[in-house]
Amino acid sequence: MTREQAFAEAGRTAVQQNIHGTMEFLRKYPPFAQMLDNHLSYLVERCVLQFYCAGETILAPADGPVQHFYIVKQGLVRGERAPADGEQQHTFEISGGECFPLAALLGERATRTRHLASEDTFCLQLPREAFVRLFAECTVFRDFALRGVSSLLDHVNQQAQRDAVAHLGASYSLDTPLAELMARTPVTCASDTPLQAAVKTMHEQHVGSMLITDDAQRPLGIFTLRDLRRVVADGLADFQQPISQWMTPQPFALPSSASAFDAAMAMTERHIAHIAVVDQQRLVGVLSERDLFSLQRVDLVHLARAIRHAASFSALQSLRGDIQRLVDSMLAHGASSVQVTHLITLLNDHSVARVIELVIAELGDPGIAFTWLVFGSEGRCEQTLHTDQDNGMLFSCDATDDSEALRQRLLPIAQRINQELDHLGFTLCKGNIMAGNPELCLSEHEWQQRFARMISSATPENLLGSSIYFDLRSVYGPTIGVERLQQFLLSHIQSNTLFQRMLAENALRQRPPLGLFRDFVVAKSGAEKHTLDLKVQGLTPFVDAARLLALANQIAVSSTLARFAALVERGVVDSKDADAFEEAYNFIQLTRLQLHQRQSREGRPLSNRIDPDALNPLDRRILRESFRQAQRLQASLALRYKL
Amino acid sequence: MSIWQRWFGKPTEPLSSELLARLRELPPAVPLGAQALHAQRFIVMDQETTGLNPQRDKVLSIGAVLLQHGQIIMGEQFEATLRREQNVLNPSVLIHGIAPSAAAAGTPPAQALLSFMEWAGACVFLAFHAPFDQRMLARALKNQLNMQLRHVFLDVAELAPMLCPEANVGRGGLDDWVKHFKLQVLVRHSAAADAQVTAELALILLKKAEQQGIATLAELNQRLHAWRRLQRSRQHA
Repeated sequence: MTREQAFAEAGRTAVQQNIHGTMEFLRKYPPFAQMLDNHLSYLVERCVLQFYCAGETILAPADGPVQHFYIVKQGLVRGERAPADGEQQHTFEISGGECFPLAALLGERATRTRHLASEDTFCLQLPREAFVRLFAECTVFRDFALRGVSSLLDHVNQQAQRDAVAHLGASYSLDTPLAELMARTPVTCASDTPLQAAVKTMHEQHVGSMLITDDAQRPLGIFTLRDLRRVVADGLADFQQPISQWMTPQPFALPSSASAFDAAMAMTERHIAHIAVVDQQRLVGVLSERDLFSLQRVDLVHLARAIRHAASFSALQSLRGDIQRLVDSMLAHGASSVQVTHLITLLNDHSVARVIELVIAELGDPGIAFTWLVFGSEGRCEQTLHTDQDNGMLFSCDATDDSEALRQRLLPIAQRINQELDHLGFTLCKGNIMAGNPELCLSEHEWQQRFARMISSATPENLLGSSIYFDLRSVYGPTIGVERLQQFLLSHIQSNTLFQRMLAENALRQRPPLGLFRDFVVAKSGAEKHTLDLKVQGLTPFVDAARLLALANQIAVSSTLARFAALVERGVVDSKDADAFEEAYNFIQLTRLQLHQRQSREGRPLSNRIDPDALNPLDRRILRESFRQAQRLQASLALRYKL
Repeated sequence: MSIWQRWFGKPTEPLSSELLARLRELPPAVPLGAQALHAQRFIVMDQETTGLNPQRDKVLSIGAVLLQHGQIIMGEQFEATLRREQNVLNPSVLIHGIAPSAAAAGTPPAQALLSFMEWAGACVFLAFHAPFDQRMLARALKNQLNMQLRHVFLDVAELAPMLCPEANVGRGGLDDWVKHFKLQVLVRHSAAADAQVTAELALILLKKAEQQGIATLAELNQRLHAWRRLQRSRQHA
């Protein structure tokens, strides 16, 4: 019987009372409420109904790969997850209309949870083959199962975390709220306290910072050991002066609900070592980088600072290895792929900025204000350790200036920067998309002209170029020219529907590597046999679609997920869809990061190609579903642009 | 309509050769032997009738559910409304809800009954107040197909108090047991839905039987005999 016939057949028996009655019962619950009649009757009539008396085990890990999808028709089921090391036994309840065990079914494995009837219980049980068929046929059911996968994704993330923790031997989560990490009784004093008394207290209490507060415990300022060094270096004689003269006013603050990750990012970005924890304007604690990183071998803030102040190219180079360890550590502490790529981008930005400063120090200041632009993944803040250079230079140029002359003065600097970045591991761009290329060392006006040409004549090269250049951002130098350039770009694209259509066509060129028979399409021969490209085939469809929709809707942000968020805000993309895209995108990116980690640990060159058969069944299944989300996104683009 | 017809139905018309051939193909009845309770094919049935007199009233519809290996197979259901031209509108219409027009549109009784027996196959029947269903079905088969019903019937109304002596269920009707086990009935008093809820009750009872060490049909039958003797002696005591 073909699939269509099977579903048509199901439609006929739906008139049978008990099938119909059971369908009516299920319709009270998601996802059955939204399913088509023929899909639901297909489900019901392939079920068997089984009774379990209170206390009886329904499904256990020892039963092997799960053979049925269970729906509780009546009664109550208790799930008991065997405690992993150091975890508490985890139990949960499944009541009428709810289902289990999605994770194990999708993962084609045994359940990790013992399910037992906690009272007399009837379960409808759908055989696995029928589940799979329904999953393929019914989008509502599939979306439901995929939402199940999101908790599944959490689980995968936890697994990744455990693996990495085992590698490092430290444990606390970057999601930990500051309330749990901060010193609860911050050392404080009034603003008229003499400096000497304050320093004495700091010394006695063994703390590196003193918070200056008013009567209502509102923070006025902070005084740290670093400030004390400055005081001493300045040769101050009178230590009886009030501390308010030497404190840093309006200290940076976060609420106690902020996460360790927020704090780490703030410290890294602002080059500070202490954060005041403030709730409702009242100081409730203080967090030092020591609190944050006492358990961690690689110190994020320290690393960022070391990069920013590296005295030489060789010093910079020695710090790059620490980024690798930091990524290990980040994954170990439960960072998501977004956090990791964000952090890599941040440290790369620091590295690039430091390289530029060192080059200028060596070659001399050209005396021309220029901005260092980055494109592509760097422009989207989505860099991994496997990255090459995509950059350019924008310089300001008055009507009276000769832009060619300015360019000739800047090019040697740009080329030197490219070379030094190459030494640091930012591979030279094969397509010569680098600031040292005279075509990419342009004045603001020249950039605008260049972009206008790309939009007005949509040659294949220009389309390819747009997928790189239109994800742009500045890393060094004044930002105003870049902002104007972005606005220029948005207004040109918005008015050019033909160009949008070409971008849409372009965005559909990379098809997710899924075959007709629910399996992966992999390279058939050569060195890349049996592998697929996670970046080009997996991430690019999301990136391209997000770029097109963002540019067409006047959205200036460049990161893919920020673009989706902005598109949801403007009602262009449904928020549930966007969630699914985000999860899928994150999963592919996480898989890619783990691949890179493994490769670099084994001393192999980094590559984006993965053999899906090397993944465990659960990861493979989720990866497949993630690719399916990419297909959905492409289908919606095709519809929107009538392709 | 003559008194004769009223009591015994219309004289049976000669059966077609096709029906006769199908009748000969029916499997023999299953005895209450040593076969495992778990593996036995049970057909849980319910009938809606024109009344409660097995001598006179007629089967209006049959609903049945397949139960085996401790499972109700949802996709294997039997449901038929029998064609009754001269269906008299009597009070039970209000209970079973089969309108005269629906009964008139049903399957010819001989066809429906034969299809049912073919579908039921080599089975043991389960029903709530089984003796009534057994007699109704036997008479219908005799009248319509000239066939002797030899299948074994087990009475769920009897199994329930035997296997759940602790339950306090009032008069012990189907509704009482449904309430006791908090079963959900989709629509009461339709043959199919009553068969379904009876089957759910039977699922519970078979599990209890298993827990009480009853593994075969023969053992179940022995227990039933012993239980009946006990009940009688209690009544006389």
